[in-house]
Amino acid sequence: MNSTEALIASIQGLSASSGDLSALHGILRKAEDSLRTNSDVQLATLEQLDPSIHSLGYLYLLEALTRGPVSKAKSVLLIARFINSCDAGQIRLASEKFVTLCKRFKDRVLELKDPLRGVAPLVSAVRKVQVSAKCLTALHPDCLQLCLQAKCYKAGFSILSDDILEVDQPRDFYLYCYYGGMICIGLKRFQKASELLYNVVTAPMYQVNAIAVEAYKKYILVNLIHSGQFSGSLPKCASSAAQRHFKTWCTPYYEVGNRYNDGKIRELEAVVVAHSSDFEEDNNLGLVKQAVSSLYKRNILRLTQKYLTLSLQDIANMVQLANAKEAEMHVLQMIQDGQIHALINQKDGMVRFLEDPEQYKTSEMIEVMDSVIQRTIGLSKNLLAMDESLSRDPLYLGKVGRERQKYDFGDDFDTVPQQFSM
Amino acid sequence: MAPSSSSGLTFKLHPLVIVNISDHYTRVKTQLNPPPSVCATENASSNNGEAMLQPNPRVYGCVIGVQRGRTVEIFNSFELLFDPSTETLDRSFLEKKQELYKKVFPDFYVLGWYSTGSDAEESDMLIHKALMDINESPVYVLLNPAINHAQKDLPVTIYESELHVIDGIPLLIFAHTSYTIETVEAERISVDHVAHLKPSDGGSAATQLAAHLTGIHSAIKMLNSRIRVLHQYLAAMEKGDIPCENSLLRQVSSLLRRLPAMESERFHDNFLMEYNDKLLVTYLAMITNCTSTMNEMVDKFNIAYDRNARRGGRTAFM
Repeated sequence: MNSTEALIASIQGLSASSGDLSALHGILRKAEDSLRTNSDVQLATLEQLDPSIHSLGYLYLLEALTRGPVSKAKSVLLIARFINSCDAGQIRLASEKFVTLCKRFKDRVLELKDPLRGVAPLVSAVRKVQVSAKCLTALHPDCLQLCLQAKCYKAGFSILSDDILEVDQPRDFYLYCYYGGMICIGLKRFQKASELLYNVVTAPMYQVNAIAVEAYKKYILVNLIHSGQFSGSLPKCASSAAQRHFKTWCTPYYEVGNRYNDGKIRELEAVVVAHSSDFEEDNNLGLVKQAVSSLYKRNILRLTQKYLTLSLQDIANMVQLANAKEAEMHVLQMIQDGQIHALINQKDGMVRFLEDPEQYKTSEMIEVMDSVIQRTIGLSKNLLAMDESLSRDPLYLGKVGRERQKYDFGDDFDTVPQQFSM
Repeated sequence: MAPSSSSGLTFKLHPLVIVNISDHYTRVKTQLNPPPSVCATENASSNNGEAMLQPNPRVYGCVIGVQRGRTVEIFNSFELLFDPSTETLDRSFLEKKQELYKKVFPDFYVLGWYSTGSDAEESDMLIHKALMDINESPVYVLLNPAINHAQKDLPVTIYESELHVIDGIPLLIFAHTSYTIETVEAERISVDHVAHLKPSDGGSAATQLAAHLTGIHSAIKMLNSRIRVLHQYLAAMEKGDIPCENSLLRQVSSLLRRLPAMESERFHDNFLMEYNDKLLVTYLAMITNCTSTMNEMVDKFNIAYDRNARRGGRTAFM
């Protein structure tokens, strides 16, 4: 009893300035074990503290409480309120505790089968724990997972729009990119989804992990939908472990990809039906169906490169659609999406394919260019900073110094065998 | 603290001396406070004692050159060991070095000494007096290693010794002298090379293109302010605050009629097209810039971290 009261008093007293806060942090860390075992710590003790001023102390007490007897619903409510009102500076002093608390929050919310309640608090939690907009925290994948479960993709997308430059744990990074890719697929932004999934597939890894395999399957499908290409080999920068083992896990997808490349709808559909149980297991059936429908679009696109005008009936025949009506619907859809430029003459059922009318001389174009250039300037600054920090890296300097000595032997650059050992 | 010298000698300093002194200082400083990761394995034992010595060690050395008449030209310098116990420079070493240099450069002889720090100190006078038997009036070159971005000129000062009578006692004190920088062709090339290694944030318009564009920018700014003045004047005249001056109005209207037709549709079209073209070219330049930076960085990364990369392969340095 006394210890808890003393603790409360010290929390209330020392939450003012940063020097006090570090002292308070030390006290709290020592008192952690006693908090865990002490059964006197109840909700009532929490009432004495204000979460926005005494965030650090509140965090420790809340963590000890929610581990124990407090009911799920109450704990969810308490944690949500805490996250919304806590002070970011104090939280960053004890970020691991905060992360465990938020993970527990996420688990409880999922158990209560109400993921929507957890989305907003977790988004704000991510912003508070992030030291700068470039760091990836352990909370990012959790937040994205909740957004996926709750199907509110827009909130998740707002987190994805930061450019991540620093990563702590590789697992966080894999999960972040995988969930991020799924959110982008939900929003139908296949370009960004493809980039995120590409990051997972080519991330350095010594052994194949399940996240990467799942991501690769989705990556194949998203590529088919977005750019209509499938290549049986991974990009060169993927790790050697990935290049060796992914094929064995993804055989049905490889078949889909190969049939897609051939361009025949019937065969593609046959393959899909044959492997539909595999796709069902991986929850990818929806994506596969989208890929099949995108094959029609791909074929029509190919037609625009060969013909100037074509009748709707001919289009239907070449693309293996049922009749001219369906062809007209497809072409109309594509014109609206901006994938092709064409004119449909309904009187005699002819379609005339046009060039891209964009002349790049409007003022809207100026704004687009300006924003793109600004982004590139920012990127260039980041690259230069990284380059400079690498040049100062003692590992690099050490190796450069050692190598330079080898080439000091005259101009014989041709076939100097590396016999000279340092 | 030190007054200006009145000896009438002109001093010429070569950049090689400045580079030597700063190099000496940087080396000593880095060796005393090595970066944490590299020397952890090597100097673990010897590092414990000298972990954080004086953060700004003073280095000492000798400057040599030629004196012709009233012009003193300082060409080169070399380092000397300072003995803190006796507070003098290592004499035998100095003489040995002097002989060696005499063989290569017979014209040069010891003109003085250098050190680093922010101001001349009393203890320096002892060293100065010790050198007086080699050269009757040595010079003292002082480099201030503190980096001050606001300061525009070099942090190098040259002191001479003068005999002043203060309170009836003749004392030697240090006196400022002015100097100019003199470069030989080889030195100009190396200084140019070092200057181009400036970090990314620099500020000053080092390249020709940037200078040209800044010129245009200031010209346009001035045009804008002048037009604004005219505009205000005309508005005031319209409101009635200033009496109408017809001659001025006539001049303004003739100026306006000389302007090219800016309102036509075709002008707009052409203007936007050219503007967009320039933007596209800038974008292309930025992308190329980024790509080249990334390329260099990837090379460096491969050298530093890739275990089995270099099997007799050549890398393009710089």
